[in-house]
Amino acid sequence: MRIPILQKAFAKAPSARAAGQKRALRIGIPRVLNQWSTHRFWTTLFVELGIGRRDIVYSSETSEAQQLKFGKGRGAVDCCYPVKCMIGHYGELLDGLKRPIDILFSPIILTVPSFLCGNVRENMACPRVIAGPESTRAGFQREKDTFAEKGVTYVSPSVSLAEPALAARQLFNAFKGILDGLTPAEMQRAVDRAYGALHEFDSEMRDQSLEVLTSCASGNRPCILALGRPYHMDSGIGHAIENELQAFGYPILWGQYLPLHPEVLDWLYKDLIRAGRIRNPFDISDIWKTSHSANTNELLWAARYGSLMPWITCCIRFSSYECGMDQPTYSPVQAIAESLGTLFFVFQDLDETKPAGSVRIRVETIAYYLERKSPKIMQGKLAAFQDAPPGILLQNVPDTGTASQDPLPEPVQTGSLEIADTTNRQHPGAGS
Amino acid sequence: MNRIVNDTYRAYEPRPFTADQRKDVTLLFGGVTWRAEQLLEGLFKSAGYNAQRLPDVTVEDLFLGRELADVGQCCPTAFTTGNLSSFLKQEAKRIGPQEVAEKYVYVTAGACGSCRFGQYHQSYELALKNLGLEAFRLFLVQQHEIDQSKASDAGLQTDIHLLLSTALGMMAADAIQDLEYQLRPYEVQPGATNKAAQKAVTEIYDAMLGRPKTLPKWRSVGWHLFTRRFTGAMRRARGYFEGIQLDRLRVKPMVKITGEFYLATAEGVQNYNMHSWLESEGAEVQPAPMVVWFDYLMRYGGQKLEQRFGVNKNARRNFAMLKLGQRVFRAKYDQMRKALGGVPRPMPDQDELRKLAAPFFDNMINGGEGDLLIGKAIWAHTRKKAHMVCELSPYACLPNTMSIGAMAAVQGAYPGMLYAPIEVKGDSDVHALSRCQMVLTEAKTRAQDEFQAALAAAGLTLDEARRRASDRPEVNAPFWKVPHRGAAGTAANVVLELGNASL
Repeated sequence: MRIPILQKAFAKAPSARAAGQKRALRIGIPRVLNQWSTHRFWTTLFVELGIGRRDIVYSSETSEAQQLKFGKGRGAVDCCYPVKCMIGHYGELLDGLKRPIDILFSPIILTVPSFLCGNVRENMACPRVIAGPESTRAGFQREKDTFAEKGVTYVSPSVSLAEPALAARQLFNAFKGILDGLTPAEMQRAVDRAYGALHEFDSEMRDQSLEVLTSCASGNRPCILALGRPYHMDSGIGHAIENELQAFGYPILWGQYLPLHPEVLDWLYKDLIRAGRIRNPFDISDIWKTSHSANTNELLWAARYGSLMPWITCCIRFSSYECGMDQPTYSPVQAIAESLGTLFFVFQDLDETKPAGSVRIRVETIAYYLERKSPKIMQGKLAAFQDAPPGILLQNVPDTGTASQDPLPEPVQTGSLEIADTTNRQHPGAGS
Repeated sequence: MNRIVNDTYRAYEPRPFTADQRKDVTLLFGGVTWRAEQLLEGLFKSAGYNAQRLPDVTVEDLFLGRELADVGQCCPTAFTTGNLSSFLKQEAKRIGPQEVAEKYVYVTAGACGSCRFGQYHQSYELALKNLGLEAFRLFLVQQHEIDQSKASDAGLQTDIHLLLSTALGMMAADAIQDLEYQLRPYEVQPGATNKAAQKAVTEIYDAMLGRPKTLPKWRSVGWHLFTRRFTGAMRRARGYFEGIQLDRLRVKPMVKITGEFYLATAEGVQNYNMHSWLESEGAEVQPAPMVVWFDYLMRYGGQKLEQRFGVNKNARRNFAMLKLGQRVFRAKYDQMRKALGGVPRPMPDQDELRKLAAPFFDNMINGGEGDLLIGKAIWAHTRKKAHMVCELSPYACLPNTMSIGAMAAVQGAYPGMLYAPIEVKGDSDVHALSRCQMVLTEAKTRAQDEFQAALAAAGLTLDEARRRASDRPEVNAPFWKVPHRGAAGTAANVVLELGNASL
C-alpha cells in the first residue's frame, strides 16, 4: 500500500513542455498558506507561460532557522503563526538563493477552488491569509524598498481562484507588462491547463486515499484523519505530527483529499439525504450555517466524513496559534467527529515551539487509545449503516455484522490535549 | 432508530417565530450606538414588534462571553455574546428558562463573510447551550442583502421596508453624533450638548414610530426616496442644539477614530470609553460614522462587479444599479446633514480613499474594512482633516490586524503621520490608554504649533482673535460651519477665517 507523503508531492512541475514562447525569467514563490492546496496550479501556469521548470523556485518549508535568518526584524504585525511565517519565506527568496530571482510572486488568493463549490455560500480564503502578502511586503518596504534594491519585481495580484474565467483575466492584467508578448489567449490557455493539473493532482491524491481506505477496510484496520488547514502539511507549521502517528502503523488521510468516489459518498450519506437533512453529499447546511470560508467548509465536511467512515477511528485536529478562523469551529468539529464514537484529539495553538517530548507522549497516548478502542469503534460505526459497504471499499471485509444492534462503544471524552479516562491504565508513554 | 440520522451533530436551528406570536414576543437587539439603538427600537415598534435594547455592555459581559464560548474569540464576539447571555441569564433566574425561550428572540446582523463576525452565530449557539437555553431563538439578518422577505406568516419580516428605514435611522444617528462631537468640546455650559442630543434622538424616534407599518416593495422604495418625515424631524431636532454657547478658540488636537466597525462605533467599555477619554484629555474627536462603512461596502461590491464585466452576464447592469443606489444613499445622508445646517461632515469620497490606499493595500482584499482604514488614515493626514488617527481594532481581529500590518509601509511613506493603532482586548485599559496618550501628547503639540502658525498667518494675537470672534457671534454659534482653511484643528481654522488667511 502506498502512503502519500504530501510534502514530497509539492509542486512537481508537469513533464510536458510548454508549447508557447520561452521566457528567461526566474520566479520565486513563497511556500506558504494556500499554496499548499494550489501549488500545482501555479507551477503549471508558469511552465505553460514559458518559464523553465528549474526557474520556478519555492521557498523551503517553514523552519525556525528560516525565520531567524531571513525574517528577523521584518515583522509588521502580530497575527496568526502561519501568516507571521511569511516574512521568513520572503526573506529566503530575496536573500537566501544562490541564483537570484527576477520576480517574487505572492498571489493574494481571494477565493479557493473547492469541491464544495455550488453547495456552500462562498469559497473565500481567510481574511488574514488573503491580506498576508500585503502586510508581509510592508515589512520589506518600511524603511526602504528591499525588492527594488535587490532588482526583484514584486508581483502580488488578487486572484479569485474559485472563478476560472475571472482568474485568467486577473492574472493577465498582473503579468501583461512583465511577460513580454503575453496575450490574453496565451494566459487563458495557461490558466486552463493549470486548472487541469490541479484537478489531476487532487484526483491522484483522492485515489491514493481510496487505496488507503480500501486497504484498511480489507484488513479491518483503522486509519487516522488529519483535520487542518492546507498549510498544516508544512512540517514547520504542523510539526509533522501526523508522520509520527504514521510511524505507529496508522495510515493518515488528510481532510482535503478524502475519496469522493460516488459509491463511497452514496453509502456514507444516503441516510442523511433520505431523512432530508442534506440535499447531497456535499451539503453542509445542517452542520455549518455560515459557509463562507472554503477551508472551514472543507474542514467541517471532512469531520463529518471522518465521523461516518467506519475505518477512520480517530480524527486529529491541527490548529495554529491565534487562528481566528478555527476558533468558532472548535466545538462543532469535535461534536461532529465524536458523534458516532470516533476518537478526537486536538493539537491546538501550534507555533514555532515544537515540544518534541510532549508531542511524543501525546502521540503514544493516541496510539494507545487507537489500539484499544478501534475494533469497537469500527464495529459500532459499521452497525450504524443499514447496508453493507460498497464494493469499491469492500474487497475482503470480514463479516462485522452490519445488522448488529450493539451499542456504540463508550465515547472517550477527549478535549483539547486532554486525555480523559486514563486513570489506573498503563499505556505507552505514561511517565516518560 | 437510525443512528446516522439521529445521533449525529446538527447546527442550531431556531424554532419558528411566527407572525401570530409577535404580540407575545420581544425582539432583543444591540451592538450599535445608543442613538442608533433608540431609533431601531422605534423602527421595530413601528413595524408591530415588541422591541427591547440589551443593557449597556459591561466588562463582566466580556468575561461571561469568554467563559461560555470557545477560546480565542475576538473581543467583539465575547462582548456581544456575553451581553446577550448576561441578560438571558438574569431573566432566566427571574422568570425561568422556558419562559425566556418563549418571551424573547434575538436579532443581529450576520456579516461580512469569512471573518469571525460572520460566524458569531456559533458563539451564541454555544453560549445558549452552556446556559441551558437551547430553545431560545436567535435570527441573523444578512447585511449585504437588501431584501430578505420571508413567508407572510414569519414572525420576523426583514423586508425591504424595514431595511430601508434602518438605513435612514443609521444616517440620522450618524449625523446627530457628528454634530454632537463637533459641539461638545467647545461648549461653555458642560452637559448642554448631551442634553440636546438626547432630545434630538427622541424627536427622530417619534418620527420613526409614525412611519407606515408596512408597504409593498416598490411603494416602500418610493416612500423612502421622497419622504420628508425624517429630514423634518431632523430640522426639529436642530432646535434643541440652538442656543448652546461655544468657545471655538479652545485649541484641541483633532483625533479621527477609525477601526473595526463594532469597536470604532461603540462608545463604552468595549473600547475603554475611548471617545469620552479622548475628550476628557482635551481632544476633539471625529467619530467613525456607520454610513461610511456601508458606503465602502457598496464601493467594494461595485469593484467586484467591475472585474466581472464580460465574465458574468448581469455584471454591468448590477454595477449600474449599485452605483445608482450608492448615489442615492449618499444623497440621502447629505439631506440629513443639510437638515442640521450642513455641520455634520460629509462622507469621504470612496474613490479617493481607494486611490490613496492602492499603493499599500490591494483594494480587492475583503473582510472587515479592507483598504478603508488605510485610505482614511492617509486621507486624514494628507488632507489635514485630523492631527492624529486612532485606530481601534480588536485584538486578534482577522482583517484589521492585517491592515495595521500594511500601515507599517504607510508610516514609512508618511513619516509625519500620527497613528495610534490600539488593539483592544477589553480588559487592559491602562495599557491601551497609555499607548494612545503617547501619540495624543504629540498631537497636542501639533495642534498648538498649528494654532500659532494660524495666528501668524492671520496677523492676529489670541486676544485680537477673541475680540473679532465676539464681533462675529456666528463664529461661536452651533450651526456655523467651520471653514477648512488648511488647518486640521478647529481653533486654527477659526482664526484663519477671522483673519481671512489660510495655511
